[in-house]
Amino acid sequence: MRFKTTVIARLALRNLRRQARRSLLTAASMIAGSALLIFSLILGDGTHEQWIDSAVRMADGHLSILSPRFRASRALKDRMPAESRAAVEQALRQGGIPGEIRAVAPRLAVTGMASSAAGARPARILGVEPAGEAAFSLLDEKLQQGRYLRPGDRLAAYVGIGLLEALDLRLGSKFVLTAQDAGGEIAGQLVRVVGTFRTGIPEADRSLLHIPLSTAGAWLGCSGDVTSLGLLLENSQQVPQARRSLQQRLSETHGTEALLALSWRESLPELDAAVKIDDFSNYLFQGILFSIIALGIVNTVLMSVMYRRREFGVLQALGLTPGQSASLVLVEGLILTVLSGTIGIALGLSVTWFLWGEGLDLSSMMDNEWTFSGVVMDPVVVPRFRVARMVQGLSFIFLIGMLASLYPALRAMRIDVAETMKFER
Amino acid sequence: MGNPALQTEAVWKVFHQEAEKVRAVRGVTLTIQPGEFVVLAGPSGSGKTTLLNLIGGLTRPTDGRVWVDGLELTRMSSRELARMRLEKLGFIFQSYNLLPVLSALENAEFPLLLRGLERGQREHRVRELFQRTGLAGLEHRRPGKLSGGQQQRVAVIRAVVGEPALVLADEPTANLDSAASDILLTVMEELNRDLGTTFLFATHDSRLMERSRRLIHLVDGQIASDQWQEPRRES
Repeated sequence: MRFKTTVIARLALRNLRRQARRSLLTAASMIAGSALLIFSLILGDGTHEQWIDSAVRMADGHLSILSPRFRASRALKDRMPAESRAAVEQALRQGGIPGEIRAVAPRLAVTGMASSAAGARPARILGVEPAGEAAFSLLDEKLQQGRYLRPGDRLAAYVGIGLLEALDLRLGSKFVLTAQDAGGEIAGQLVRVVGTFRTGIPEADRSLLHIPLSTAGAWLGCSGDVTSLGLLLENSQQVPQARRSLQQRLSETHGTEALLALSWRESLPELDAAVKIDDFSNYLFQGILFSIIALGIVNTVLMSVMYRRREFGVLQALGLTPGQSASLVLVEGLILTVLSGTIGIALGLSVTWFLWGEGLDLSSMMDNEWTFSGVVMDPVVVPRFRVARMVQGLSFIFLIGMLASLYPALRAMRIDVAETMKFER
Repeated sequence: MGNPALQTEAVWKVFHQEAEKVRAVRGVTLTIQPGEFVVLAGPSGSGKTTLLNLIGGLTRPTDGRVWVDGLELTRMSSRELARMRLEKLGFIFQSYNLLPVLSALENAEFPLLLRGLERGQREHRVRELFQRTGLAGLEHRRPGKLSGGQQQRVAVIRAVVGEPALVLADEPTANLDSAASDILLTVMEELNRDLGTTFLFATHDSRLMERSRRLIHLVDGQIASDQWQEPRRES
């Protein structure tokens, strides 16, 4: 058996070499296709990771821990009490959660009004811990004037530029926040503008503001409590495992009243759908491209089989089984595709790495800021190199080679040996 | 007494061409003992090649039975037939049919390679046959670099190297000039005499007929005559 495999592999290689020009032309299309495949996969992954990273840092993180009731009501009464928060933070500090936690952001979110002498506007108020939030969120990087919140700040507010203008405020101006407190009463809090930001997302710029968590807790009568804990991981690939592990730990520590660990896919369903649609269209394009390439391979291998009908007849007369004749064709097709596919992948990786390893700048294609699903996107897309993608790419190429060689292999298998010898007459 | 190299019993082969039935082989019963040097002669369309294909397990008979070295082919699966061909038969074709991607040596040792023999054993046997057939020194040439006669001698080595029970040769001299034919026939006679290889030829070639010890005439798919004769020796 081992000998027959060696013989088949040797014959396959020599047959490919024998039709060198035809093999090279087919290999060239496979190399180009594979290079394009890997380029689009890693660039697509980079784009998606960037979308996700931007989105989760403007929203609730890769994972957010909250009470199931708060998820439904968004009401302060359904917040996470200080003891639960402490237990979760303790669990996070103990480690053992798969993936690398880059930042943890405790937040107390409430909807209320922001008022000044110029009027009142609805506001989305986030009580945050300045140091943790700066590592977690991108908002501090969107600074327009002044500064972001600092540890020790008490009455400071970091305000969206739209809200600032609507309330006719400036740096240093005071204004009043009003919201329902933990007891269900309307409570007010005076704050002072220390900085302004512009995200490029009108809704955020018009309504969002950050104040220190301690100030928010004292104002709303729930010091130490939070509405959610956001977790920023190293990348989105770590989310599923981290979520499972975290949810299990939350169930162990909190029993039936367990807190929820929500992944970004659940907190940002539009973004999840957008990533899936983009992946689908990418796969569809690759599918069409590789169908065309596969037809080229079918043509090459089938031509080779038809051209060598008598040789297949001779091989079977000498003792090769029909199945072994078919495997010879399959091996030829696979050597051609896998070899050229691997070269294509290596080429795609190298070109992407050398030309765009630091990022592909798409800003020249955009007039304004690129917002998508409520998130401002960075116009510089950084390709994301993942081993899993290489394996997927190679497996796909292997599958294409196998499928494309199947029909020619069947033709070789079904050859009528006596019939092929008639050509001698 | 061992098995006959070949035995057929009332073998028929009927082809259907459009509405017509073509009876290519009609009830052929034949026995060939080991060591025989037999020629199957007859005009075109007499069924020589079809009979050879039936014996080689390349075509299945419509009726009747075929045994090669005591193994009945008729009920074998295609996989079993392939194994039988590998172990019991050798083929020589009119157009040599060497594999162009292999050297002369690799072509000749191909059946041994398929049988899984180690390189040393293969090369020892093949080189000896190259020497015996006057091909020494041409082992590493590709078929395209050999003359027709040399290619056919490589094909003969390929057919006999595995010491099969029977070598089937279909018009082996048809593409060769008389000098090359003579050399080839002498080689095959020597292999028959020295190694006891059993040959069954299908041919029109009168020189081959004259040099056989048993001449079977096939007419319209039937054996018209089966006679032993004193072979003519080349001077």
